[in-house]
Amino acid sequence: MGEGANVQTFFGIPFDIGNDVPGLIAAVIVFALMFFLSRNLELKPNKKQNIIEWIVDFTNGIIKGVMPEREGQKFSLLIFTLFSFIFISNQLGLMLQISVNNVTYVKSPTADVMTTMTLAFMVLVLAHFLGVKKLGFKNYFKNAYLSPVPFLLPISILEEFTNFLTLALRLYGNIYSGEVLLKLIYQFSKAYGIASFIPAVPLELIWQGFSVFIGSIQAYVFVTLTMVYISKKVEKE
Amino acid sequence: MSSEFLLGASGILWGDTLFYLVLFIILMALIKHFAWGPVTSMMEKRADKIASDIDNAEQSRQKAEKLEKQRQAALKDSHVEASQIIERAKTNGEQQRETIVDNANQEVATLKENAKQDIARERQNALNSVKDDVAELSLAIASKVIVKNLKLEDQKELIDSYIEGLGKQNEAK
Repeated sequence: MGEGANVQTFFGIPFDIGNDVPGLIAAVIVFALMFFLSRNLELKPNKKQNIIEWIVDFTNGIIKGVMPEREGQKFSLLIFTLFSFIFISNQLGLMLQISVNNVTYVKSPTADVMTTMTLAFMVLVLAHFLGVKKLGFKNYFKNAYLSPVPFLLPISILEEFTNFLTLALRLYGNIYSGEVLLKLIYQFSKAYGIASFIPAVPLELIWQGFSVFIGSIQAYVFVTLTMVYISKKVEKE
Repeated sequence: MSSEFLLGASGILWGDTLFYLVLFIILMALIKHFAWGPVTSMMEKRADKIASDIDNAEQSRQKAEKLEKQRQAALKDSHVEASQIIERAKTNGEQQRETIVDNANQEVATLKENAKQDIARERQNALNSVKDDVAELSLAIASKVIVKNLKLEDQKELIDSYIEGLGKQNEAK
C-alpha cells in the first residue's frame, strides 16, 4: 500500500504527485476514449457513435430528471465530462495499481479525498455562483437560506457544508474502501503461500466486480446530486 | 518545510485542488472541442432530419391522398363522359342511319322515276320509229303494189273512187 506521498512544491504550492498522476492518467484515458468514439461521425450512427451517444443520452437523462430540459441543457457538457471522468477514475484503480518507492502512481484518483473534495467544491461553488447570477444575491439568499422559514437559517448554512462534505466523502469513502479491501485481499493471498492464494483469487475477482458496480453507482450518484444541488440553487422553490 | 507542515497538519495539499480544477477544465474544453460538439451537433442534425422526414412523409401522404381523390373524381368523370360519348355516338349513328336510308330511298325513288320516264320515252321512240317504219314499209309495199297494178283501165275505178272520196272529204270539211 502506497501510504507514502511524493510531495513536490512548485511556486510555493505543494503538489502531491502521487495524487496528481492518476488524475492525469484518468483524464487522458477519458479524452482518448471520447476522441476515439467520436471519430467518423455519421448521420446514421455507427457502432462507436452509438456508444458515445448512449452516454450522452444517459447523462442528459440525469439532467432531465432534475431540471426542465431547456434550462438543463447548458449543464449537459459538465455532467457528461464529470460522469465520464469520475467513472473512469473509479475503475482505474481496480484494474491497475503501480507503486514506486511506496508511492502509488497509478490508482483511482477518486480514492483520494483531495480529488473528491475538489470536484465537490467545484460543483457547489458553481451552484452558488449560478444561483446568484440567475436570481440576484437577495433572492438567492432568500431562496437558499430563508425559505421555507427564516429561523432555519443556521441549519441551512450548516446544510451547505454538509452537502459539500457528504458529496466529497461519499465518493471518496466508497472508492477508497474498495481499494483498501482489494489490497487487503492481495496481502492475504501472499500471507500463507498457496493455501491462501487459491481462495484469494475468487475473492479478489468478486470484490473487483463489486467495486466496478460501486464505482458506476457512485459516479451516477455524484452527478445526480450535483444536478440536484445546482437546481436547488437555480430554481425558486 | 512547508509541504511537510501541510502534510502533517491534515494532509491539505491545495496544489492538488488547483491541479484537479485545471485538469478538469482542460478536459472539459478538450472533450467539448473534439467529442461533445461534433456528437451533439450530429444528434441535433439527426433529430432535425427525423422531424423533417416525418413532416415530409405527412406532406407526401396528404399529397398522395389528394391525388388519389383527384384520380377517383377523374375516373368517375371519365365514366360519365364515356357514357355520354357512347350516347352521343349512338344518336349520331341513328341520325346518320336515318339520313342515309332516307337519301337512299329518295335516290331510289328518283332513279325509279327516271327509269320509268326513260322507259316510257324509249317505248314512245320505239313506237314512233315502228310507226315510221310501218308507214315507210306500207308506202313501199303500196308503191310496189301500185306500180305493178296501176294500169289505167284496171285501176280507173279505184282512182275515181279515191278522187270521189277526196271530194267527199273536202265536202265534209
